[in-house]
Amino acid sequence: MTRVSENSSTAALKYALNKSKAKMEDLQRKGSTLKAITKPSDNPVSNVEAMALTSSSNDNVQYLKNSEFALLSLNVTEKSLEELTDIISKAKEIAIAQSSDFFNGDIRKNIANEVQQLYNQALAISNKKVGLKHIFSGTSTLTTPFDSNGKYKGDSEHVSLEVSRNFFVPINLTGEEVFFSAEDGGTIENPLQKFEQFDKSTISNLNRDVASKSDDEADGDTTNPFKSRDNIFAQLAGLTNALESNDPKMIQGLLEKFDNSISRLITLRTRIGSLSNSVESAKSTLESENIDHASRKSALLDADVVDLFSDINKQQAILKTTYQSTQGVMNQTLMDFLHR
Amino acid sequence: MADLLGIGKTGLFASKKSLEVTGHNLSNVNTEGYSRQRVMQSTAIPTATGGFVQGTGVKVDGVTRFNDEFIDKRLNTALASSKYYDTRSEHLDQIESIFNEVDNDGLNQILNKFFNSFRELANQPENETIRSVVRDNASLVVKDFRRIRDTLDAQAQNIDRKIASTVEDVNQILSHIADLNGKISNIEAQQGETGDLRDQRDLAVKNLSENFKVHTYTDEKNRFVITAQGIGTLVTGLQTQPLAVITKDKGNSSNNMNASAEVVLRDRPSQPVTDKFQSGSLASIIKVRNEDLRKLQDNIDGIAYQFTSSVNAIHRQGYVNRTLNIGPDGTPSLADAKGLTTGIDFFVQPLEKDGAASNIDLSVAVKDDLSNIAAAMAPNAPGDNRVAIGISQIQHERIAGEGSITLEEKYLQSIGNIGLETGKAHLDAEQANGILAQTTSIRERLTGVSIDEETANMVRFQHAYEASAKMMQAADEMFKTVLELKR
Repeated sequence: MTRVSENSSTAALKYALNKSKAKMEDLQRKGSTLKAITKPSDNPVSNVEAMALTSSSNDNVQYLKNSEFALLSLNVTEKSLEELTDIISKAKEIAIAQSSDFFNGDIRKNIANEVQQLYNQALAISNKKVGLKHIFSGTSTLTTPFDSNGKYKGDSEHVSLEVSRNFFVPINLTGEEVFFSAEDGGTIENPLQKFEQFDKSTISNLNRDVASKSDDEADGDTTNPFKSRDNIFAQLAGLTNALESNDPKMIQGLLEKFDNSISRLITLRTRIGSLSNSVESAKSTLESENIDHASRKSALLDADVVDLFSDINKQQAILKTTYQSTQGVMNQTLMDFLHR
Repeated sequence: MADLLGIGKTGLFASKKSLEVTGHNLSNVNTEGYSRQRVMQSTAIPTATGGFVQGTGVKVDGVTRFNDEFIDKRLNTALASSKYYDTRSEHLDQIESIFNEVDNDGLNQILNKFFNSFRELANQPENETIRSVVRDNASLVVKDFRRIRDTLDAQAQNIDRKIASTVEDVNQILSHIADLNGKISNIEAQQGETGDLRDQRDLAVKNLSENFKVHTYTDEKNRFVITAQGIGTLVTGLQTQPLAVITKDKGNSSNNMNASAEVVLRDRPSQPVTDKFQSGSLASIIKVRNEDLRKLQDNIDGIAYQFTSSVNAIHRQGYVNRTLNIGPDGTPSLADAKGLTTGIDFFVQPLEKDGAASNIDLSVAVKDDLSNIAAAMAPNAPGDNRVAIGISQIQHERIAGEGSITLEEKYLQSIGNIGLETGKAHLDAEQANGILAQTTSIRERLTGVSIDEETANMVRFQHAYEASAKMMQAADEMFKTVLELKR
């Protein structure tokens, strides 16, 4: 027969009470926070996964910002290209109209003024800014890219933004690319290419500049066979000069150049358009990824409310029973029944 | 007839003694470490008179306590192990809370913000305001690295103090045991009762076991000899070998920290025994300090070192955000009115991994002037964002742990580890507490006082006392009968 002493029964009681109360406390903490995990040791694996998801979501928020910024730049660039195309088309119309001997010098002089206006418009577009930056001056964004003579002051570098993890998109066209013939345009390199730190990394081996690669091909199309070194400003200025000097031959000569410029601008617009598209699609991927992250994180961290509250009820019942049985054991001894 | 009186008297005496012991038991029902006692009684030596051998009543042989030294040993072992895990989970809980990012921003999120602020800078490298955001975020990184490292260090120093006070306690217990050894052998030499003193000595050994695991055996004079594995003999008879705490400098310490507390035997101060303790709270806190905390300190230093060095290496390749003079040979000037124009460290370059997390700081150049934050890889290119992109790319680069994992993964690994260790310690503690409760209840069932039982005994002994008294009354009446014969 097992002997029971005062201390052994109270020790057993204390142990049972403690265990049951510790469990209750844990459940109450979960109930009040509605979180299944409140500290790493609750579930180390889920905790670490949740933390990685949090930083990944935060990254995505930043990538979304980057995308917005890239889109802004690209849209402004596209708009500028469109306006520029209009200007060149107008100049071309004028050139076609004036390429015959039909008009006399006086009229051509008046028209030359109109062309001068076109020149000024083109110059205004070339110096367009987004926020602080000039969009057509390469990386010398604080420098006005073209002076009034149409001389390029910027550089031939491209700026790339990371719009999604390891996906870099060039967001600018340099003044040379837009206003000069294409062969002057710089090639787009991976922004990390110059860092030896990333030489061995797996990322630089990835085909991360998908966008710029296809751009190179687009560039190839626009490389015009004439390899002329003249630019849009020179063409417009040439037209003005030709009109002023009443020289239809020269005007005729300009026609083909205008055509080349227009076709180059259209190719550039296509290129910018495809970049915008890829940024948009990266954006929507990021957004849906964020939803996935949020639902995964909730599955990892949040408590199952139904389970939790049924557990709490169960535990409360257990605790109550323990208290009730304690009452019977603690308060009675043989002494109570010995009366003399 | 005189025999009858004598027999009655022995019964009276034995019952009274038993009642006394019952009273002693009842009054000690809640005394820690008390073992219930009982009176050992046997029949008195019979005498041979008139050809008969006849009984002479009862005699009290002594008072013994109920006790089983094997159960005590098991209890002490269970206690040491339960204390070990309790202390471990208590300390790991505190350490874990340093890394708790479930509800608030921890280092991981702050690092994340740092990298994202460089991504923002890559969007608008011309913008000074974003540079100041970058610098603010970098200061937060600095602060949090320091917070973590300092809190870890504070925990280690806390444990140093705990070691010192534990050693003091242990020394007191050791001399208490030696003292009790002396008293017990003295009293037993005079055939005295030592049950209560033995209880005290058992309790002292139990208290000692809370700190670390000890082995006890009894010598020929019933004195305890106490040894601890790996440490040596701590008590022999009346002699004690006290422990002492010395402080060691970083190079000689067992946890790579300055002024760390190391435990030695007082007579052998040149041989630290810090790592030798087994089980119990002392071994537990030492393990937390020398293994868990040290590993975390190393990890956080490693992360800080890799982080600052990598950011610096890329940042040094960039040019400041100021207009520079380009020399006739096409190279930009290397310095201007505000200092260097390239090759600038973003953080103070750490000299070694050790302590990198506590020494982390922004470089003077970055603190002084925002334009010293380089985003461009080419001079005079305010729109160039390649350095900013390069720095943000460190986030996903496998630069930690010999190039196999990213900094974030390394950090999360550390958190995962401490979480696992803490979870394991909780489970172990629960289990060890279960075993302790079980062993305690086994011991208490044997040695503990039961009020019911004592009550029953009380009734029993009272009856026996009454009966013995009646016996004497009967003898008295018999005397009277005989004396009245003469009248």
